[in-house]
Amino acid sequence: MALKLISDWFRGTNKLERFWLLAKIEFKLRYYENKLGLIWALVKPISEIIIFYIAFEVIMLQGTPNFVSFLFIGIVLWNFFVESTSGTIALLQTKKYLYEYTNMNKIEIYISVIGSNLIGLFFNLFMFFIYFLIFGNGSYLSVHAIFLLAIIVNLVILSLGISLIISSLFIIAHDIVQIWTIVISLGFWISPILFKLQDFRDHLPGLDYINPMAGIIINARAVVLYHQFPEWGLFFWSFGYSIFFLLLGIYSLNKLGSKAAEKL
Amino acid sequence: MEKKNSKEKFALIAKNISKTFFITEDIQNTIKQRLFTIFNRPTPKKVEAIKMMSFEIKKGECFGIIGRNGSGKSTLVKILAGVYPVDTGYVKISGSTMLMNLGVGMSHELSARENIYVSGSVLGLKIKEIDKIFDSIIAFAELEEFVDTKIKYFSSGMLARLGFSIAVNAGADIMFLDEIFAVGDFKFQEKAIKIFEKSWIEGKTVVLISHSMETIQNYCQRVAYIKHGEIVHIGLPEETIAMYLQEEDHH
Repeated sequence: MALKLISDWFRGTNKLERFWLLAKIEFKLRYYENKLGLIWALVKPISEIIIFYIAFEVIMLQGTPNFVSFLFIGIVLWNFFVESTSGTIALLQTKKYLYEYTNMNKIEIYISVIGSNLIGLFFNLFMFFIYFLIFGNGSYLSVHAIFLLAIIVNLVILSLGISLIISSLFIIAHDIVQIWTIVISLGFWISPILFKLQDFRDHLPGLDYINPMAGIIINARAVVLYHQFPEWGLFFWSFGYSIFFLLLGIYSLNKLGSKAAEKL
Repeated sequence: MEKKNSKEKFALIAKNISKTFFITEDIQNTIKQRLFTIFNRPTPKKVEAIKMMSFEIKKGECFGIIGRNGSGKSTLVKILAGVYPVDTGYVKISGSTMLMNLGVGMSHELSARENIYVSGSVLGLKIKEIDKIFDSIIAFAELEEFVDTKIKYFSSGMLARLGFSIAVNAGADIMFLDEIFAVGDFKFQEKAIKIFEKSWIEGKTVVLISHSMETIQNYCQRVAYIKHGEIVHIGLPEETIAMYLQEEDHH
């Protein structure tokens, strides 16, 4: 089933061009419809960093070394996940014009939206690296940072999988929007975004394996901030976990998505 | 798909297809509603839009569909175009499809230019190919001054012209045309019919829905007459149209 989908995408020769075209337009719609443009993409993580810096370092004195860099990379990855899931729940409704009149494969729409979010992610990561290397108190990058690419691939697979699942469910249950809002706000606090890793593991044991975002954030910090190899167990677990979600997502889109044109 | 079936002579095969809609008074699409109505579910009304039918459409053929309002024509076309899934049977399509009623798939948040590129790309064209036909699409739709205007500011006539023009210039392998000649003003209609006659339908598979018996008579090689979701007759335009007119007179 999955193999057939993949071979279907690439047989049509204009597929890659189409992904790029749709992603570009999606990106433009999001950021260039207002005067500040791409700056908005940065305003969100920066404002969050300021808030949490005051709360955790100024008031609660948690004492995480290099806290801003620590937070910056966690928040950038987390925000990509939120945008690619919460932002796509109603995708089959808002992008109905794309599949309502043709026999276009719906999964292409998801890929181009995630692609457009990826442009935003790379922009934010670029800003992170500028901060990290200039203001990070003598921080540097080691070769381990190359694993960040694999971690991003993992993040994309996970986001796409979840996005497929919740937006398919949206067809039969519109209140998945409210449910997912709760999951996301809960998820933020049970991901190791704010807390020191050791505190997180001591107080919430097992969550680094249950929460699929935890492994991604933990390993991204390990390879970028701490010049270590990823924690291999967690690394491969995260990949497997995400692929499971992706397969489940493709299954739900096939099962429920065909009804989208008449139900939405 | 396109390559594999290119030697076959059918563009579309529909086998034992049927479609039933269940309509409830208030649509049950939230978990909350489902929970609240768990003991007294409203009984949904059953509407058999399409009842068991099978037929084929040949490559390059212009196939007409006639019938009264509510007979299931538009549902049938959506099923054939692969937009709605069938309840039973299957539809085998070889090639890309495009369904056109009042407007094609266009986003109101995008400009005319962006919509042309998106639609063209969805229909399988490469960016370079769209570059080539871009000016003729705009010229045919008479929208030279509004290329970069978002189409949400367009009038319904302008929208319809843009949609028609994209379809004419970019077209898919199989075109489903649902009452398209009701588009634009008198002058544009004339132009549309002219281009339709002249070159467009040659080599393309067209499924044409129309209430204009003249249009059906002029362009179609075969016509299906549909009544209450069933095929009454498939045959040559003259005989099918005569049958349709006679039956409807009878009632």
